[in-house]
Amino acid sequence: MTGFQLAPEAIAQAEERLRKLTRALTTRAAIAQTPKQVIWTLNKAKLYRYLPVVPAEKRHRVPLLLVFALMNRPDILDLRPGHSFVEFMIHKGYDVYLLDWGSPGLEDRHLKFDDYTLEYMPRAVRKLKAVSGFEDFSLLGWCIGAILTTAYAALRPDDGLRNLILLTAPLDFSNKDAITFGKWTDSRYFDVEKILAAFGNMPAEMIEYGAKALRPVENYIGNYVRLWDNLDNPQIVEAWRAMHTWVTDNIPMAGATFRQLIVDLYQNNRLMEGTWTLRGERVDVRRIRANLMTVIAEGDHITPSCQSESVHQKAGSRDKELYRIPGGHIGIMAGSGASKQTWPHIDTWLGKRSA
Amino acid sequence: MSDKPESGSKPFDPLEAWKNMRDASLEAWAKTMTEAVNTDAYARTTGVMLDTYLAASAPFREALQKSMVQALQQLGLPTRADFESLAERMSNLEMRLDDMDAKLDQFAQPRAARSKPKKAKSA
Repeated sequence: MTGFQLAPEAIAQAEERLRKLTRALTTRAAIAQTPKQVIWTLNKAKLYRYLPVVPAEKRHRVPLLLVFALMNRPDILDLRPGHSFVEFMIHKGYDVYLLDWGSPGLEDRHLKFDDYTLEYMPRAVRKLKAVSGFEDFSLLGWCIGAILTTAYAALRPDDGLRNLILLTAPLDFSNKDAITFGKWTDSRYFDVEKILAAFGNMPAEMIEYGAKALRPVENYIGNYVRLWDNLDNPQIVEAWRAMHTWVTDNIPMAGATFRQLIVDLYQNNRLMEGTWTLRGERVDVRRIRANLMTVIAEGDHITPSCQSESVHQKAGSRDKELYRIPGGHIGIMAGSGASKQTWPHIDTWLGKRSA
Repeated sequence: MSDKPESGSKPFDPLEAWKNMRDASLEAWAKTMTEAVNTDAYARTTGVMLDTYLAASAPFREALQKSMVQALQQLGLPTRADFESLAERMSNLEMRLDDMDAKLDQFAQPRAARSKPKKAKSA
């Protein structure tokens, strides 16, 4: 009889878990919720200004511009209320701007790093200066965004850039053994022209596959096992759902940019060799003069630390800090420990240099 | 036998033991796979697979594209190329507008004044 009495409870429990699982897997979390306004647009790109919450007289003087990668949405910087880097920074008194590259269409397949760095960024910076009222500004570049910000800082050192923060920056491609993406995109095995001839742009699905295939078991199995184990913990489920929403919302990369990323950088390491040119201008990282902080995630399997170290040595900045932190490529900024380690460190470093 | 476990010892939970075993095997599997994908052999294999897929699908893609263009033209509808050309023109226009916006900003806030911090705008 006991068995019969328990069975309905067990069934109800199983049903409830199944409902939670279905919801987590099939619904999108509300991410990027911090209030903001669009202050500039060009093609698919948008420049947002987050509405300040600290009175003007208590704010840091130098505005902060966030630049994320080209193949993911920048929502990871503002993942969910209570767990958002953007929210943290505006509460610390920064005037925060975000450059969202948008999703390129086929008509954008000719866009190159040259365009993003020397057409879009200077225009967005001009608007930021006009809106903020200050000539100086800080830049934070993450992942491919760090390539863009590094190139910008090297090509436009007199443009008012005071502070440069590079997060998990893939800049040095010389250590082929340590960089798995480097192996996959080796010119012997990977023909970028065939992909671009077929699709025009690098498809988002292929980018997502590439990122997940670096750690296949964790991404395709472990991730879901973790969800299953924690279905009764609403906090963990909501955090999982927010991250899942972001991870599965990739965007394609403009074909010509992808070609440069593979041929110029992954295959020929032109940036660190000092032979990379954008619109005829050589990108020389020694010309970077802004105060520089390089953040390295020690457990980063996408951008191993060897990719970010050399820029730190080569950059011409007098004020430099190399900050190593345990964690992965995304985890250091969006993981559970980010609000206790990475964000306060960035705030402390930047605050001293934003007066 | 008492129903209560002796103090300091936990009752045997078969589910917990299974979970531990599962986690250990997943961890070992993850390590093996991470090492496997970081090899030249994996890079070569995926390269061959990708090339084969692209080569095999190319005739179908091209045929589909041609027939689509023909159908659209016969119906008097714009093709993808028309939209692309229009989008490029729009982007050029946007840039011209942005240049004008920059000039207006300069006109409204002469450089001398801009070198001093402006009164911050309220949210």
